[in-house]
Amino acid sequence: APVEIKFSHVVAENTPKGQMAIKFKELVDERLAGKVEVKVFPSSQLFGDNKVLEAMLLGDVQMAAPSLSKFQKYTKSLQVFDLPFLFKDMDAVERFQKGPEGQKLLGALQKKGLVGLGYLHNGMKQLSASAPLKVPADASGKKFRIMTSDVLQAQFEAVDAVPLKKPFSEVFTLLQTRAIDGQENTWSNIFSKKFFEVQPYITESNHGVLDYLIVTSAEFWMGLDDDLRTEISAALNDAIAYGNQIAAQKAESDKQAIIDSKRSEVVNLSDAERAQWVTAMKPVWKQFEDEIGADVISAAEASNQ
Amino acid sequence: MTIAALFLMLFGFIFMGMPIAIALGFSSVTTILLFSNDSLPSVALKLFEATSEHYTLLAIPFFILSSAFLSTGGVAKRLINFAIDSIGHVRGGLAMASVMACMLFAAVSGSSPATVAAIGTIVIAGMVRAGYPESFAAGVIANAGTLGILIPPSIVMLVYAAATEVSASRMFMAGFIPGLMMGGILMIAIYITARIKKLPAQPFPGFRQLAKSGSIAMGGLMLIVIVLGSIYGGIASPTEAAAVAAVYAYLVAVFGYRDIGPMKGILWRNQGESSGAAAIRNLFQMAIALPKSVTNPEVRKVVLDGSKVSLMLLFIIANAMLFAHVLTTERIPHTIAETIIQWGLPAWGFLIVVNILLLIAGNFMEPSAILLIMAPILFPIATQLGIDPIHLGIIMVVNMEIGMLTPPVGLNLFVTAGITGKNMVWVIKACLPWLSLLLFFLILITYIPQISLFLPELIDSMRGY
Amino acid sequence: MIRKVIDHFEESFLSLLMVSMTLLVFAEVVLRFGFNTGIHWAQEVTLLIAAWFVLYGASYGVKVGAHIGVDVFVKLLPSPIHRFLTLLAIVLALVYCGMFLYGSWIYLAKMKMIGIELEDLPIPKWIPMSILVIGFALLALRFLELGWKVLKGEVEGFHFVDEAAESMEIAEELKAAEAAEAAAKENNTKETK
Ligand code: NA
Ligand code: NA
Repeated sequence: APVEIKFSHVVAENTPKGQMAIKFKELVDERLAGKVEVKVFPSSQLFGDNKVLEAMLLGDVQMAAPSLSKFQKYTKSLQVFDLPFLFKDMDAVERFQKGPEGQKLLGALQKKGLVGLGYLHNGMKQLSASAPLKVPADASGKKFRIMTSDVLQAQFEAVDAVPLKKPFSEVFTLLQTRAIDGQENTWSNIFSKKFFEVQPYITESNHGVLDYLIVTSAEFWMGLDDDLRTEISAALNDAIAYGNQIAAQKAESDKQAIIDSKRSEVVNLSDAERAQWVTAMKPVWKQFEDEIGADVISAAEASNQ
Repeated sequence: MTIAALFLMLFGFIFMGMPIAIALGFSSVTTILLFSNDSLPSVALKLFEATSEHYTLLAIPFFILSSAFLSTGGVAKRLINFAIDSIGHVRGGLAMASVMACMLFAAVSGSSPATVAAIGTIVIAGMVRAGYPESFAAGVIANAGTLGILIPPSIVMLVYAAATEVSASRMFMAGFIPGLMMGGILMIAIYITARIKKLPAQPFPGFRQLAKSGSIAMGGLMLIVIVLGSIYGGIASPTEAAAVAAVYAYLVAVFGYRDIGPMKGILWRNQGESSGAAAIRNLFQMAIALPKSVTNPEVRKVVLDGSKVSLMLLFIIANAMLFAHVLTTERIPHTIAETIIQWGLPAWGFLIVVNILLLIAGNFMEPSAILLIMAPILFPIATQLGIDPIHLGIIMVVNMEIGMLTPPVGLNLFVTAGITGKNMVWVIKACLPWLSLLLFFLILITYIPQISLFLPELIDSMRGY
Repeated sequence: MIRKVIDHFEESFLSLLMVSMTLLVFAEVVLRFGFNTGIHWAQEVTLLIAAWFVLYGASYGVKVGAHIGVDVFVKLLPSPIHRFLTLLAIVLALVYCGMFLYGSWIYLAKMKMIGIELEDLPIPKWIPMSILVIGFALLALRFLELGWKVLKGEVEGFHFVDEAAESMEIAEELKAAEAAEAAAKENNTKETK
């Protein structure tokens, strides 16, 4: 019987991640027919993001693509991606991920029985809120929804904002009714989750990156024949390249769609204003330097050139 | 094959008399083991996920707790007084006031049988004294009692939201107009009957009295205001609003109405006491009563009762999530949907089938269990046919209301028989004319989606989207 | 005596879980709305309490007959057949518990081996998860107890909650209150006479 790969993710099939998973399945069908079979389960059909890694360790899921922040209990080093204003743009992120330090980070989960197979882009994060955010002082005292991540918590505390953890399912209502003032997300998430309809201002801050890590379990991965592993890897890398290309286009088109909708005003930062945000948030790097590793941070910073 | 195995096991186990939660879980796990290669550890993980990853579901125990505090005879009496003072003076007013009292109590308590018991015990006797035929009185109450699950906040709606992942706050809004409408239909029918049968009106007690009974009833009714106000006023999500409601219900029951708990029997103002002295005394007594609540047997009983109902529902829901998991991974709703579309069944035809299925199911099962089994199957099919999920939800809820009035399992029938001391045949006959109104209402709800969708859509458009 | 202590403990623990869940969420609203702040671990802890509440509560529900089921049909059957079906259902319920016990045990062992902590608190994840094993063990115990009662002929079927009967409690309470009131009124009129 062919090797079965259950690929479980939490988003719809028409998203970049969903498209990437489908592409991966197609490539495997084409190149490894009869040897490997990929089954894609979208929209949390199999498991949610919080449990999928555990299911993988139990051997019931072979591949998943949670966001990088989800790994903080498995390894501290991947928190580097959450640091504010570390990467200038997606090209810098790409350079870092393809570089030696980025590739080394793929192995950071080994001790916990997981293997990183590659990074998948979503995009740069923007800040949305019920009032315009021009300078850090505008965020002071405001409540922002964050996903569970120590770095993101520190990031908002650095500008005297109040980070609140709320399940994704409740965020829309809480934003709509202004029980929470704002949130951070990529253009495509702000668009697909309709946050732009309930958040009148979006600051184009590009202050951080939201990417995914494609993971598999070490037990499954090491149990494969060497040549099979190489071929699956190759198919996956091609699928990732395809997914990244869609993600980049989608970030652009979703941003434009948000602007065109006129539901939300996009706030642009002058260089001086941006510098204020950087000054306020950059101390967070120092705070997590010991956990992440100074060399990793400096390699990431170097990727901006 | 998988479909057959799953459903045969499920209904086999249920009719053997196994608890529904276990029947759902066991048939699902067995199907997983027989037809897919998921392991038992991952099934355990799935169950843990079902119990520990659904924040929205927590609104259910919180609302149950709040309704446990307010489902008392004392609250019922206050609401009845208010209702009689406001519309008792119309012809047939006592019956109309009873319907209104049912709507109010049902809205606060969320439980249909409790509404019939609490309101019915007081008003049926009163209506008979005032010259109404007993069967008329019993029929009205048994029917109006079902409105509890349609008027928000509603636990059945939360269960539907949990099963389908539609927004609970939109469901609540959607239930509002249909709930008022059904109450209105009942009242119009009463008015017509009252004219024909020349039924009496009550004397109008005057605005002073109305204001007084209104403000007393407000203590309980504020719960609805708090829940809907905090959800739509930007203070809290539905789950959080439910927690606030539970705390509020405790405060009203123990410190406000003092029907139960450590302050039972203590007057707000003793005879001849100055208002200043009363305020200081009350404050002092409340400060003592707060810690005393922890050991007070009545308060503890309310919490325990609420816990029992909650754990029963949440355990069914957790197992129903395993069931839904089997349905989706085996693509069962998808298969059924394809078959239905192949038949060329239009949306209206599908809705007839849905109504018939639900009415049959309502004859022998509890509303929440029906929703948990049926919603994951019907929801994807409805979506494919272009039926709004919120609309489908309201249709299901109205069907559940009807189920409470049909034998062999019809909770409201049992309670009505209990409080009137009549046999089931008598009760069923008494309910029949009103039941046909409810069926007519179901047709309206089914084929005029705007009744359900108007308010949620209006609120969306008011906010500018 | 021991039974009473166990009863008391079970009830208190369940109520404690319910109340702490409610108060945690309530506190979050008060803090956010009134004090513009939050509790960073509240969400995770609330959800874990919920898991304990359900998985622990399931066995208590069997003990006190708080679950729901359909028994209108089995009750129509002759008593021996009803009892046989109940026993069969209990055996199947025990198989259900056994499957979950086995699955939970492996799951828990794996989590302990990997050694992951909770997201927001420095506590190993397997500790709060242990309620899976505890809950299903207790559930199995309660089913065994029920099976024994059926074997001895003390009961015929599962005891399900009867919402109609429970609602009648309010009716009885009201009737009692009314009777007391009427009696008091009568006394009053007698006295004034
Ligand atoms: Na209600
Ligand atoms: Na029924």
